[in-house]
Amino acid sequence: MYKIMMFSGGVYKFNELKELTQDIGGFILQEMVMQMETMLHLAFPAEEEKVIRNKVKEIGGKLIDLPLAGAEIMIVVPSLGRHHAVNPMCDIAEFLRRKGAITNMMGLSRGVGKRIAQITVEEKRIIEECDAAVFIFGNFRECIEDKARLCEGLEIPYIIVGGPPELDIPHYVGGIGRKTERMKRKHEIENLEKMAEGLRAELDIRRREIEEDPLAASPLFLKELIDMTIPPKPGEEFSTIIHLDGLRVKLEPGEEKIIRDIEIQNRKLSEICEIKKSLYEGYLLKILPEAETGRVF
Amino acid sequence: MEVKVEGGDESANASYSRICQNVFREIGLHGNIDNVYLYCNPSEHVFVISVKIGRVPRPITVNDMTLRGDNRLKITDEKYAPRLLALLWDKFGDRVKQLSRLEITVDVGAKDMEELMKMVVYEPRADLNIRILDAVDRILPEGARVRYPLPSPGRVTIIASENPISEEWKKRVEEMVTLERGGL
Repeated sequence: MYKIMMFSGGVYKFNELKELTQDIGGFILQEMVMQMETMLHLAFPAEEEKVIRNKVKEIGGKLIDLPLAGAEIMIVVPSLGRHHAVNPMCDIAEFLRRKGAITNMMGLSRGVGKRIAQITVEEKRIIEECDAAVFIFGNFRECIEDKARLCEGLEIPYIIVGGPPELDIPHYVGGIGRKTERMKRKHEIENLEKMAEGLRAELDIRRREIEEDPLAASPLFLKELIDMTIPPKPGEEFSTIIHLDGLRVKLEPGEEKIIRDIEIQNRKLSEICEIKKSLYEGYLLKILPEAETGRVF
Repeated sequence: MEVKVEGGDESANASYSRICQNVFREIGLHGNIDNVYLYCNPSEHVFVISVKIGRVPRPITVNDMTLRGDNRLKITDEKYAPRLLALLWDKFGDRVKQLSRLEITVDVGAKDMEELMKMVVYEPRADLNIRILDAVDRILPEGARVRYPLPSPGRVTIIASENPISEEWKKRVEEMVTLERGGL
């Protein structure tokens, strides 16, 4: 199983860290060099953590754990009006990004109110394209309890956040209701931490399930392969997004066939993945389990 | 500005009190409002907001924002210049000419000029109502789209819900606002 961590430090010998990561079978997911500062997202086999830590100690810098890395999370609000944006919607998204997640934000077309709140089948499908979701349901206990029905039947892990500190509904984290100012106070950060911890716990269950029924190939490995075949365009960020059990690939028209024909050992990518167009952006690659495809490597 | 929130649970009341303060500050009405009363009944989905208007600046006349020299006007407060020009063009048409950024000539007689100087360029009270309604819109929950205004002197009161507002609620709110008027 791969562990994803963030290195931040100076440029001194940081190429050695990159080489070491690749030597031990890891991947560089993200790299940013800002003058004398560097930031790397590294994925490496969990058992090799000590080797990486020793190297980081040698070259100087910090290694930060990213508990939500490798997951795409959807932040869902009742509408994209100023009642929910920018606070607390963007505060939550920013906090999750700091924990390593890739975040998307979505406003429901008819999500406002209590009795009249609805979610469409298409919206549910778009949410289910991600690995997890966070629903923001406001300040009132009665409304949150009623609107929890919108999340019923979702096939991905989710968290509901709202104002009341405690509520008797599943997957609920309190203290994150309607806001008109940035969440920067200590107790607010603690609530955000609780929410991230809840998401991590939910995602860990999914990660364990995948470990028990391993995938034909790691999404990290496929990402590297795809990026080598179709290099990211200049200035484009996150052309390939890692999911727990697949990838979201942003492609130009006509590039889908190239992706389908990528060779892995003696197999084609289309043989080990279900490839479909996303309702939201790009194409979704769902990697099939090894039990279905047989051994690839 | 005094804010009183009732009806919801403790955390909701505290949160909405903060929302009221922040929204009125953002819109720049903090100084023009005496008090705000918000009543929330989330179980029946009825929300009542009552805003008592405090002191409002007096209307701005042409005399307040220009210096007169015969038929010539020199604008001293440029903030109101677009409103002044719109007003003069509407009233006198082609007889009004803008010579430069801050200079205007009006081709009228001395008597008309006297009257022109008393004309109201900007009425803060009219604008105030629009801004208060904007603030109310930002404060009330988004789903409460059915609105019923309750007219009373010096006060803007609005009942909002996602359901049709019953006569019973209208009466209850009237009593509530009368009590508040006495209390605050």
